[in-house]
Amino acid sequence: MDLTQALQWIAEIFEEPAENITLDTNREDIKGWDSLGVLTLMAALDEGFGIQLSEDELLEMRTVKDILELFRRHGHLQ
Amino acid sequence: MKGEPFIDFAGKKVIVTGASSGVGRAISIQLSRCGATLILIGRNRESLMETTASLGSGDYHIIVLDLTEHEAILPKIKEISLQVGRIYGLCHAAGMDEIRPLSSCKAERFKPLFDINLIAGIELTRAVCRRDVMEEDGGSILLISSIAAIVGVPGHVAYSASKGAVSAAVRTLAIELAKRKIRVNAIAPGLIRTDMTVKALSVLPEQQRREVEEAHPLGIGNPEDAARAAAFLLAPQNTWITGIDLVIDGGYTAQ
Repeated sequence: MDLTQALQWIAEIFEEPAENITLDTNREDIKGWDSLGVLTLMAALDEGFGIQLSEDELLEMRTVKDILELFRRHGHLQ
Repeated sequence: MKGEPFIDFAGKKVIVTGASSGVGRAISIQLSRCGATLILIGRNRESLMETTASLGSGDYHIIVLDLTEHEAILPKIKEISLQVGRIYGLCHAAGMDEIRPLSSCKAERFKPLFDINLIAGIELTRAVCRRDVMEEDGGSILLISSIAAIVGVPGHVAYSASKGAVSAAVRTLAIELAKRKIRVNAIAPGLIRTDMTVKALSVLPEQQRREVEEAHPLGIGNPEDAARAAAFLLAPQNTWITGIDLVIDGGYTAQ
């Protein structure tokens, strides 16, 4: 998927309006990215892309850029 | 706070499923009288229109939807919220009962009851509680449990299992959603005279039907009995009750 699609995917996961999710958005800016939101993200990454986060990867996820980097590492972002 | 209404849904949009008949219709009418803007969901447009004829002067919207088509629920709820604005509440009153003794209660008989009584309710809750659907200040969810979730009712193993699951789900949802100020409760009605219960009881012999009715100290309930309790639990003024399964049974389970 391309960058726009990836940002829309993240917006959908956290139930945020698409315009609220940008390259500069941090976890603290997203209400739905709380402890339960992390579980939702993990499940969606696994179900949608077969990405199972390691503990280190999970701890590193603090920004939208981190999620995009994860997609790139796993070959899901053009 | 003299003069403040005890129950007031002015400005609040509430989804009610099973609004075509019985308890769902009665809840719709009660909420309308309390000022709610209603979104009525049912399978039959004509029956839903009959419900609207009894509503107060408030706005309403009708959605014809088969709630056993679970994948259709989220898109429809998102669509209606884009149309009417943020949703405050949900009452999932659609449900199914079936009297079937264990000997004839094969595994495939569980699915239709669980599909509508439990899974549809949870899927509706998931949709309504989306951060881009529900009011930002929180809201209220009401599912319909049953006294069959509390006491044994012969011939109702699949139904009671589905309602027991509803009761358990309500407690979990209440805790999970509390920090967003979303309250989740259930009412557990006893025997209420509706088309569904009349049909379910019709398989019993006359004598047995009478015994069932006489087992209720205050007699058989009316849909309006459930509706008043539903309005109380859903009301925006009721800010500190969540995770409960309120029994409304004319004293049946007190025996």
